[in-house]
Amino acid sequence: MRLLYSMTAPSPLARDLAAIVGAKHVREALAARVTYAMDGLPTHRRVPDLVVLPGTREELIAVVRLLAALDVPFVPRGAGTGLSGGALAGEGTVLIVLTRLNRIVRIDRANRLAVVEPGVVNAKLTAATKPLGLHYAPDPSSQTACTIGGNVAENAGGPHCLKYGVTANHILALEVLLADGSLVELGSPGGETWGPDLVGVFVGSEGNFGVATRITVRLTPVPRAVRTLLADFTSIRTAGEGVSAIIAAGIVPAALEMMDQSCIRAVEDSVYAAGYPRDAAAVLLVEIDGRNADAVVAEADAVADLLRTAGARTVRTAASEAERERLWQGRKKAFGAMGRLSRDLVVQDAVVPRSALPDVLETIYGIAQRYGLVVSNVFHAGDGNLHPNISFDATDPALKQRVEAASAEIMSTCIAAGGTITGEHGVGLDKLRYMPLIFDAESLGAMQALRRVFDPEERVNPGKVVPVHACREWASLARAS
Amino acid sequence: MREGKEGRGGFEGLDACVHCGFCLQACPTFLATGDEADSPRGRIELMRALERGDLTASDPALAYHLDRCLGCRGCEPVCPSGVQYGIGLEAARQRIAEARGVSRLARLALWALTSPKVSRVVYWFARGFRATGIPRRLAGWGRLRFAMGMLAATQGGEMRTKARKVLSPPSPALLFRGCVQQGLFSHVHDATVRTLGVNGYQVGEVKGQVCCGALHAHAGLLDEARALARVNVAAFGEGDEPIVVNSAGCGALMKEYGHLLCHEQGERFGARVRDVTELLAGDAMRGPIGGAPLDMHVAYDPPCHLLHAQGVAVPPLRLFAAIPLLELVSVPGAAECCGSAGLFTLLEPEMSRAVLAAKIERLRETAPQVVATGNPGCQMQIGAGLAAAGVATRVRHPVELLDDAYRAAGRYE
Amino acid sequence: MTILEKVTALLGEGAVLEAGTDRVPRFAPGSPDAVALLLGTAHQEGWRVRIEGAGTWLQSDAPADLALTTRRLDRIPAIEPPDLTATAEAGIGLDQLRQQLADRGAWLGIDPPGLAGRTLGSVVATASAGPLRHGFGPIKDHLLGVTFVTGDGRMVQSGGRVMKNVAGYDLTRLQAGGFGAFGVIVLVHLRLRTLPRADVTYLLEGAREDLTQVGEDVAAAGLTPAALELVSPALARRDRWVLGVRLAGSPALVAADEAGLGAASGGGRFTPLRAEEAHAFWMRLAEGFAVRPVTFRIGGVPSASDELLDLLQHQLGDEWISASPAAGSIRWTGEASIDRLQRLRRTLAGLEVPLTLERAPWPLRSAVGHFGAYREGVGPLVTGLRRTFDPGAALVVATEGE
Ligand SMILES: Cc1cc2nc3c(=O)[nH]c(=O)nc-3n(C[C@H](O)[C@H](O)[C@H](O)COP(=O)(O)OP(=O)(O)OC[C@H]3O[C@@H](n4cnc5c(N)ncnc54)[C@H](O)[C@@H]3O)c2cc1C
Ligand SMILES: Cc1cc2nc3c(=O)[nH]c(=O)nc-3n(C[C@H](O)[C@H](O)[C@H](O)COP(=O)(O)OP(=O)(O)OC[C@H]3O[C@@H](n4cnc5c(N)ncnc54)[C@H](O)[C@@H]3O)c2cc1C
Ligand code: SF4
Ligand code: SF4
Repeated sequence: MRLLYSMTAPSPLARDLAAIVGAKHVREALAARVTYAMDGLPTHRRVPDLVVLPGTREELIAVVRLLAALDVPFVPRGAGTGLSGGALAGEGTVLIVLTRLNRIVRIDRANRLAVVEPGVVNAKLTAATKPLGLHYAPDPSSQTACTIGGNVAENAGGPHCLKYGVTANHILALEVLLADGSLVELGSPGGETWGPDLVGVFVGSEGNFGVATRITVRLTPVPRAVRTLLADFTSIRTAGEGVSAIIAAGIVPAALEMMDQSCIRAVEDSVYAAGYPRDAAAVLLVEIDGRNADAVVAEADAVADLLRTAGARTVRTAASEAERERLWQGRKKAFGAMGRLSRDLVVQDAVVPRSALPDVLETIYGIAQRYGLVVSNVFHAGDGNLHPNISFDATDPALKQRVEAASAEIMSTCIAAGGTITGEHGVGLDKLRYMPLIFDAESLGAMQALRRVFDPEERVNPGKVVPVHACREWASLARAS
Repeated sequence: MREGKEGRGGFEGLDACVHCGFCLQACPTFLATGDEADSPRGRIELMRALERGDLTASDPALAYHLDRCLGCRGCEPVCPSGVQYGIGLEAARQRIAEARGVSRLARLALWALTSPKVSRVVYWFARGFRATGIPRRLAGWGRLRFAMGMLAATQGGEMRTKARKVLSPPSPALLFRGCVQQGLFSHVHDATVRTLGVNGYQVGEVKGQVCCGALHAHAGLLDEARALARVNVAAFGEGDEPIVVNSAGCGALMKEYGHLLCHEQGERFGARVRDVTELLAGDAMRGPIGGAPLDMHVAYDPPCHLLHAQGVAVPPLRLFAAIPLLELVSVPGAAECCGSAGLFTLLEPEMSRAVLAAKIERLRETAPQVVATGNPGCQMQIGAGLAAAGVATRVRHPVELLDDAYRAAGRYE
Repeated sequence: MTILEKVTALLGEGAVLEAGTDRVPRFAPGSPDAVALLLGTAHQEGWRVRIEGAGTWLQSDAPADLALTTRRLDRIPAIEPPDLTATAEAGIGLDQLRQQLADRGAWLGIDPPGLAGRTLGSVVATASAGPLRHGFGPIKDHLLGVTFVTGDGRMVQSGGRVMKNVAGYDLTRLQAGGFGAFGVIVLVHLRLRTLPRADVTYLLEGAREDLTQVGEDVAAAGLTPAALELVSPALARRDRWVLGVRLAGSPALVAADEAGLGAASGGGRFTPLRAEEAHAFWMRLAEGFAVRPVTFRIGGVPSASDELLDLLQHQLGDEWISASPAAGSIRWTGEASIDRLQRLRRTLAGLEVPLTLERAPWPLRSAVGHFGAYREGVGPLVTGLRRTFDPGAALVVATEGE
């Protein structure tokens, strides 16, 4: 299907959509559509045929039912901060943007839960619950921009997920709109399931199973005592060893993050400069939290000792809430600051067993050196979740080739260490090619079959996550009706 | 204009954008519509497409979304990559203006508000009309009634007094008068002269100065803006006295005259420009001298052109701190644009009101007695919004409050 | 050829076990591949297969042509204390696994109901968490990945050995709590903790309402117990209700919480247990649920706990109950009729509280179903999943009631 653009005469589909959401909220002009051609990872580009921005749940349902009746594929999109090209809609596909569905429906303080629409921005939910002594624990670095719907779809993680768990651990119930326009209610406010754990299955399905229209999240008490440490190292290897030492000691910090030198410098050059030592090979940001101030201090001291033993040059404690905030802002905006290094960026998201970190890190920098490339690593070290990003200028074709070869080598290093290809960004379009490296044809087929239970015609967000050519085909069994 | 390093006219300022999206929630127009095409990141994409030639400057949808940008630059200070959005935007707007010309409405407005002869008459009428009290009574949300509200919001207290000299010898400073500020807010100029007087400045007048050119620049009329800038640079001469500005929008552009004109003289001029609050607070942030207590709740609404464009955050707060009893109430989202943005309120009323509505709602909840803001456009926009919404809060320039406190303290003759 | 002969030819003598009292032939494949072979054949032949673990939890009474037990899948391919991960086959007994982990200084933060030898696979398949869910979350939070064999003999891996993984859709969570309806779990990747250096239990006896209040105070004081469990007199074998509090972790944290506990309960009314006593207390809780004929769990919001306990007592009588009020989950065991259970499930569904039938004799189980009274749209999805992962309906599982 090809929808024609013209400012004066909207296509029939655009007209029908406008009848539902109002003409202002349908975007058909090419200029408006190109702004939706990318998400947070601009290496992929797809221009949607039409963009529609429903303003209420009812409008959203009507839009999806209309598309179902016309057999038009569609892609849900939150804030478009995804890092795997998941929110892109190509030719013949309508993009449904959920940013206007941004109401917090209900906050239940006694039961520590909130019900939100999918377009609520992560940090705004926490801001709304803070006065009640509660917060929404998963804190992706993009939290000031990304939506809860996008978090659910990607099973987003964040620095504090080391202790508090990723998105999947905080979603109690979901209302989901399937491709055929029917609504299903998954999970219950208490977290117990009606049958199999379909909430767990939906979380992380990258918008391939339907649209989350209403989300019940668990809220977590704000910790009463917090200590934030900044340790700096003169070699990447010793920093990695510091991480391993903490994990092996059985300490579970609230967060345990690493940043390498190139990353430190990009941050220090930005408005988010946090006072990280520019000459360090790497810094670790460690946070310990809990109820009891004495216990937190004791644990923080233990961590500081472990880090010094591992070879930290200095270990410093944030002296005030303001300093803590600054240390975290630097970390959270680090990815955004990469634009200072060069125009283009390859973003990786591998996970390795934590004991393998020192070796894997050393190998990665070795690879970069061999190819003459700049790797900047800012990552969730406590989970072994690496983001070795390569900065380059895509206008140089030879360079681009080198970058690709190096990326592939880095990825196979991580897989060989027992790791996986994505820890939080999802597969989307970007990691499709890596899927056969970790899953056999049968397992990929199982995923495809699972998707078809929710979306038999593969009309929601087609062509993502599972590389169809690599699947062993399963009998296609539609949902019973 | 900015014949930048690579000769890309300002577009090079956008190169650093990595599409992270951190600017989305800082953008008032995105908050109003949720539309990527109304967001900084989306507009950067449009400007890049324009530079590459993928989209033309005459593309109506491209212009539509770039026209809807307030130019408030709320997106710049949150950007970790340091994208120079404002510079890119001016480059893009110049191309659009070249392609389709400037709208008749914008032309008319510029002519009425900034051309020396005409505007004098316009402001004279406006002041007379204002004095009848009719605008205040007619204020509302409709296009015309909103304009009434804007005019009503320019009303100041009528106090013609002079500062007693306190410090000697006084340092010289030169006042920039501007167009609207001079036409409708002369009381702010008066307060500026008096409060600076108390704080040791002898404020001098400069003949031959003209409009700063900001409205023209925002409309893509860079050449006209440059012409005005040249006149001002010449008028203020080569001295080293600070040039004091009490309109944030004017100050923002004047500080960038060097960039605009691409010559050193402009650079030196820009370096002399100070917001009135900067001078009052002093470099060491010790000032200004304290006044008498004023028992009021004040909400400070930092103008985008002061906070984002000039990076002046603390000095205005020093003014409030110099007034005992005055209680500063914090309003969520105060740093977000009010939707005024020069001619924007006139040219894009729908988006402008949508952006304003959020701010008015929060002001209604916090209900301060006074909103203080240091830019004529913002004063008019917020004032009109409050009047339309039936909120009794008044809008005043921070120096007016300090001026009141000095008067109450008996510092004036 | 009989089934016995065919399977013996397929898997060898070693896989053949003595049949149970119902004469259904029983096989214990010795490897995941053997499971796939057996299920693939069963699918082709149209045999109906009953899945068993150690047979200590669910009664081995589902009508079937053959029984498949995982008990020979009892290897532990990997324990990695520095990574705090382990990989174990599904048929390993929990007691054995725990022992081996402890030898390496590692710990699995789960304490499901049932006898000590209960298999890991059955715990995952039924997603039955015990009191430790308060501090360490439901079973699914401890899983990094699983390998399973579908009803038609396909071997599928999902997840992996690392702490975070979003590669592909989450089939691990489909299996956690699937009651075997979507395949036979053969291998499990686990997330571990270090063996707590301090582990103490305190009890408080009293009227249920008072204990609920204390429980809320403890939570409000921000204490972080590993378990906070309210136990009925019959189950605890005491005169009154008991609130059991388990504190586990670093000595500093435990000491801090002990101090807080005294404050929260209005001054040291809790009695500490000696290590053997504590062990016996929690054992009794787990095993108690494996002896009476019917066991189920329900989950509501914390503030509804009291009301739900009243409802259970009212509809089913004062039986053996253990509840984690702050997590909103309640487990009940005793005797109950089909009719009563169905009625209870409907009543609860009206309160947005799901009831999951964990154990019951086959006639009751098949009538009531492990799951039921679904929310809007869930039924067709479950049916679709069944058809996808067990297209020939080879696996005999009472997912839904009649
Ligand atoms: C600077 C930066 C830092 C980041 N840091 C982290 C981090 O620390 N941890 C982390 O996990 N991720 C991180 N990310 C990635 C990204 O922010 C997350 O994946 C986030 O969850 C995406 O949310 P979004 O609203 O932007 O979704 P989008 O990008 O709009 O969409 C992502 C996917 O979700 C789907 N989707 C969106 N809404 C719905 C819905 N309501 N129902 C169904 N499907 C939906 C889309 O179809 C798409 O496939 C970062 C990204 C950036 C740019
Ligand atoms: C919405 C809006 C936004 C604006 N934003 C800006 C902005 O960002 N920057 C900016 O510079 N302007 C801004 N203006 C004002 C306008 O662009 C110019 O200030 C205006 O053109 C001034 O023209 P004029 O000085 O010739 O006017 P006139 O009132 O005719 O004054 C003539 C000249 O005499 C000077 N003058 C007047 N009175 C005295 C006196 N008593 N002593 C000495 N000199 C005197 C004036 O400064 C002026 O130079 C804005 C106007 C509007 C409506
Ligand atoms: S914050 Fe900066 S880098 Fe990020 S999208 Fe906005 S302009 Fe681009
Ligand atoms: S200048 Fe203001 S309105 Fe324009 S994109 Fe930036 S934040 Fe948005």
